[in-house]
Amino acid sequence: MGDGIDASMEETNRSLPKTDPLMIQIQDVTKKFGSFTAVDKLSLIIPKGEFFGFLGPNGAGKTTTIKMIVGLFAPTSGGIRVNGWDIVKQPMEAKQSLAYVPDVPFLYEKLTGREFLYFIGGLFKIPKPVLKNRIDELIDHFEIGSWVDRRTEDYSQGMKQRTTIAAALLHTPQSIIIDEPMIGLDPRSAKIVRETLREQSQSGVSILMSTHSLPVAEELCDRIGIINEGKLVFCDTREQLQRDKLRYDGKFESVFLEVTKQ
Amino acid sequence: MFFHLFYYKLISFLKTAVDKRAVSVVRALASFLVFLGFAYSAYTFAFAATRFLLEHTRTGLYLYHTFISMLLFVLFIAVNLGNIIVSYSTLYRSSEVNFLLTKPVSFTTIFALKFFDNFFYSSTTLFVVAFMALYGYGSYFGYPWYLFAGIMLFVLIPFMFLSACLAVLVLMAIMKLAGKIGFRKVMAGLFALYFFFIYLFFDSSNPVTLVEKINRYYPNVDAYFLHTAPGILEYLPNHWVAQCLFYVARGDVVHALPYAGFLLAVTIAAFSILIYVADRYYYRSWLVSLEVQSATRKIYDQAHRHFMDFRSRSIFPSQIEVMIKKEFFSFIREASQWIHLVVMIILTGLFAVSVSNINLNLHVMDVQMLTYLVMFVFGGFMVSSLALRFVFPMIGLEGQTFWALRSSPMNGRKIFLIKFLLGFALILPIAEYIAIASNIPFMSLPALRPLLLWSGVFTAFWMSLTMVAFNLGFGGFFANYLERNPIRAASSQGATLTFLATLLYLIAVVTSILIPVSAYFETLFRFKLLDRNLFLIAGVLIAVLSSFLSFIGFLIGHRSIRRDF
Repeated sequence: MGDGIDASMEETNRSLPKTDPLMIQIQDVTKKFGSFTAVDKLSLIIPKGEFFGFLGPNGAGKTTTIKMIVGLFAPTSGGIRVNGWDIVKQPMEAKQSLAYVPDVPFLYEKLTGREFLYFIGGLFKIPKPVLKNRIDELIDHFEIGSWVDRRTEDYSQGMKQRTTIAAALLHTPQSIIIDEPMIGLDPRSAKIVRETLREQSQSGVSILMSTHSLPVAEELCDRIGIINEGKLVFCDTREQLQRDKLRYDGKFESVFLEVTKQ
Repeated sequence: MFFHLFYYKLISFLKTAVDKRAVSVVRALASFLVFLGFAYSAYTFAFAATRFLLEHTRTGLYLYHTFISMLLFVLFIAVNLGNIIVSYSTLYRSSEVNFLLTKPVSFTTIFALKFFDNFFYSSTTLFVVAFMALYGYGSYFGYPWYLFAGIMLFVLIPFMFLSACLAVLVLMAIMKLAGKIGFRKVMAGLFALYFFFIYLFFDSSNPVTLVEKINRYYPNVDAYFLHTAPGILEYLPNHWVAQCLFYVARGDVVHALPYAGFLLAVTIAAFSILIYVADRYYYRSWLVSLEVQSATRKIYDQAHRHFMDFRSRSIFPSQIEVMIKKEFFSFIREASQWIHLVVMIILTGLFAVSVSNINLNLHVMDVQMLTYLVMFVFGGFMVSSLALRFVFPMIGLEGQTFWALRSSPMNGRKIFLIKFLLGFALILPIAEYIAIASNIPFMSLPALRPLLLWSGVFTAFWMSLTMVAFNLGFGGFFANYLERNPIRAASSQGATLTFLATLLYLIAVVTSILIPVSAYFETLFRFKLLDRNLFLIAGVLIAVLSSFLSFIGFLIGHRSIRRDF
């Protein structure tokens, strides 16, 4: 793992602890849609157990980057390795170790929450007895309650989000890619999700979280990257961010607005 | 207000339809070519069938129009049932309606907008087919251009429009009754009513009896039928259209006009009643639909486990198991899916039972061969329709939840194969049943019996394989993951193109079996020696063509599953 990481990438990730195994490596990745470049030679490394906050204005390239990491988009150029596996050349191995939570929690409407969890468990080849225990555990953890046996078409946005996050944790992934996890969640659910993600990170799972919420990013993330017009324009640790903030008016918002200025 | 909304819908449609990107231009060009090919085929087929029936088999003008009346009845019921099912989604479960209801737009305007949207969206292909069939049919009689335009505008379009109007009236009645006695009881009642009508129609105008009567009265068929009373048929719109066409074909336009005028008047009346009812009842029925939808909400009992339960053990590997169960529940819990399947299976069953009971005692080779080919084509058409309706939308219906599969460790080839096998498992038994049933009346020469039957079984296998692979593949290629309605997906432009392409394939298959089947009947009636190699050559041709097209379907489908999502 980690072979071929060039100098520019090391510069971008200068604050990275050198001893940790690299779980997510993005190297010079570009994604074009026709003549429009959504992501432009992006390089990023997220080591084991790191909670990485991925920020940026609307249309900056966050979701495109995330979709490339999880294999929903093919990069136009560059390479992505997830937990040591190349997402293009070894997609099955990479996806087996990865969990993805999309920005909009679409579920199979005609399935119940429990059936959806069994469906996802089956895709990840989790043995039935293990899966049953894991599902019961996650239903309790995310307080899904009796809703789990209703069709997901009856769910609120928050309930769908909780089910999606529960589904992502079924196979105990090594990395989690999560896009806007707090949208639609009530304060209690948001707290559960924040705590769950923090616990996962502390247990060694690397997390890439895209969010528009600066306070959430500041609270949870070990490192924060800001993408603008497809390029990573800021990438620093939380500690360094505190020092950066002092150069403005002490607010993260000011740093964000400055680095994403057109 | 109606025209304001219509204008923006039109702009939205044009922006989607007119795309100058190279890939879209190529796709549009390919679509145009397929449409052109199909339109020409429809024309040629209608022309050739008219000439063959009237000149070669001397069916007679009146009887020929009785057959046309039957086809029009089937078309009327198909448009009617299709509109009931599609209208339920567009009028009662559409986000556009939800949006417009929050704006100062009258309920009648919303209703009219969605009704026209629905009618033109799902009937465009039928218009093309109807016009080209009319063109082929009319060319035989040497009609001038204005007669084509007149029949299309004042006879065929009003005929289909009447069917759609009645469909939506029936739908609103369903919603009203569903609010009082429950959705299931209403649907059961509706089924009973439709089957009663279909029974009544075929009791009065049974194609089996017709074929038998041709056999009995041949060649004085026209003389017999001209003196029979139409009975209940007189009150049906398909009869008015057929009568109108019959008199125009005889050059007696004066007698044709009352039928056209009556049809037009009934259509205008039906539309007026529809708008009146919608004005008074559409919004209330929309509110009832919310109650009906909420009545289906329930907590699934966890105490009982059945074999399809996700918690139950399975003989299949886990990925295959959960895919099968997911497809199964998604299908049976969607009313528009299983109801449509039940209707189509019952219709297929009726067709198969009817044709298997035909008593072909006339020793006229051409009539028997034609009957065989017509039944073969009709069987193929049914298989093609089933594949289009249930297989084509399979990938697109993954919808925006496709992220769950695409980001899982399950490769695209496996996803495609599972969907293919499920589609094949649905289509193959029906195709084989049709093939066997439609061969029963022709098994009159014991020595040759297995040959025609096995040829039918063999062809049905390859046709099912090709139809499923092709529909699934192109369903993936044209997939619109935002479309949640399977019927709309199956009547989209991509679906239409796929359907037309499968019909061209059907023509190729029919062409392949033409020589061996002809030889078979010559052996039967003219005691010529049958060269069995003809069947072998046709079989090889069909197998090669089918394998090639299935491969194309697989290739396109597999690639479409790997596309950016």
